[in-house]
Amino acid sequence: MSTLAHGVGSRTDLPIPIGFALYGAGAAILVSFAVLLLFWRTPRLGGPGSGRPLPAGLQRVLDGAPLRRGLQALALGVAVFVVAVALLGPEETSRNLAPWVLYVTFWVGLVPASLLLGPVWRVANPLRLLHRLLRPVAPTAPGAARLPALGLWPAAGSLLVFVWLELVFPGRAEPRTVAVFLLLHAVVHVALSLWFGEGWFARGDGFEAWSTLIARLSPWGRRDDGRLVLRNPLAGALATPSEPGLSALVVVLLGSTAFDGLSRTVWWQTGPGAADDTLSGTVGLLASIGVVAGLYALGTRLSGRLAGQDPGVQPGRYAATVIPIALGYTIAHYFSLLLLDGQKTWILVSNPFGADGVDLFGTYGNRVDLTAVGSDAIALVQVGAIIAGHVVGVTLAHERALLSARHARASDQLPLVVVMVLFTLGGLGLLFGF
Amino acid sequence: MSPRRAAAALLLLALPVAGCAGTAAPAAEGTAASVSDAPATGAPTGTTPAPAPPEAAGQRIEVAVAGGRVTGDTGRVPVSLGEPVTVVVTSDVADEVHLHGYDRLAELVPGQPAELAFDATIPGVFELELHDAGTVLLTLQVG
Repeated sequence: MSTLAHGVGSRTDLPIPIGFALYGAGAAILVSFAVLLLFWRTPRLGGPGSGRPLPAGLQRVLDGAPLRRGLQALALGVAVFVVAVALLGPEETSRNLAPWVLYVTFWVGLVPASLLLGPVWRVANPLRLLHRLLRPVAPTAPGAARLPALGLWPAAGSLLVFVWLELVFPGRAEPRTVAVFLLLHAVVHVALSLWFGEGWFARGDGFEAWSTLIARLSPWGRRDDGRLVLRNPLAGALATPSEPGLSALVVVLLGSTAFDGLSRTVWWQTGPGAADDTLSGTVGLLASIGVVAGLYALGTRLSGRLAGQDPGVQPGRYAATVIPIALGYTIAHYFSLLLLDGQKTWILVSNPFGADGVDLFGTYGNRVDLTAVGSDAIALVQVGAIIAGHVVGVTLAHERALLSARHARASDQLPLVVVMVLFTLGGLGLLFGF
Repeated sequence: MSPRRAAAALLLLALPVAGCAGTAAPAAEGTAASVSDAPATGAPTGTTPAPAPPEAAGQRIEVAVAGGRVTGDTGRVPVSLGEPVTVVVTSDVADEVHLHGYDRLAELVPGQPAELAFDATIPGVFELELHDAGTVLLTLQVG
């Protein structure tokens, strides 16, 4: 029913004021050169072994099976309930809980949850529980040895499927679509986990990989000796293990968020995307991801060539430094959706099946207050998130360059920094609506 | 003006709007919701008196649908925040027109102009959509 760019929603953000866009762009360029020329000249962020350990007792509880199985059982219960509501609840998207839970509360809410608490979906992923229950059926996991070579490529593919559903598929907002997606997602990933072993979820389940990626910027981390630690999020991000497909995962997220922004612009709606069909959406989504991937590969390889390093390893080496930029894009595009249209979840949960006279939590009569956050506040958060992501990204790239060559010249880092500036100017341009 | 009196005034203002939207049976439920909820969504404007009826002042936006083609004020239509707005939709087929965010509905009878009148109190970008056809007639940019 809804033709809005993201899965569901009744509104999109106003274009940011031109002043915000220009100041943001100026700040991004200025900060980039300040980082290159004025920041530290030897690596100084902590490595994978840094951080202040949490009390051993707390770690036992957090890592213990009771907490994990408990949270997984809870998440499984919620997921089954959401599928039931999607199939048996009201047919209209505006009255059915399921699309709002999937596209807003879960998908968008996963970002702040992971940023504050760490890799929450790795802990609470209900498919891990299903896997454990079904493991006796296929105890050997014949494909486990091949998993490390696949790296995060399966997760990048899994996320691409979801963002296509969320941003392109015409029936995305229908409750039935949500039910079919959730059931298919569960069946496919549990089946693959029986083939590849439980390690599949970390590398193949897009939601888990995304949550874990954002958690890299949370204050919590796991030291290389296995201890849970409180540490500088920048050190946590740089300690991201380099895996095949890590850059693909980040690029899919950045590119898809860019497409979400693009599809809200007048230029897209009256130009290439005027048909508003599956074909134009798919081409637009893939082209956005392609442009981001091309720029990223170009910047990292060129930087590597200038520094006299193997250009082939560069995209993987710098992938973690793009996480904050992708996160900034995500916050800028979905923050208002979570706070405004996200209220819908808490209203509909009072009467999930749309029965007469049911109002479990006394919220069913409430209306979504679309003025709860002012448009100035939204614009400030949007520009702030993009610029903060940029600053952190450039800083991480600087440290990464120093780590790979002790006396890396500032000029060698220039191509990657220029690409990051382009991402940021592009992000601001999309918010401004060109 | 006390909050209660402001709410009552807004309710009175909202009644003709809702009445216009609720001429058809399928829309009756949505209409009831929008009447009872009008004070809630309009609450921030309670302090600014809006004595003129919505039709008399403010911005008038007109679109027509014929043979699947949309003509008139299509595309992105800018509206000032707080301004009274009247949207007039004329269609050659029966449908229902829905303004997202403001959640206003109007039944479309072939050849007969239908009106949505409201105060643009919610900032943002909102789609005006034909429910059955799924066509976006225009997007309202309130800010």
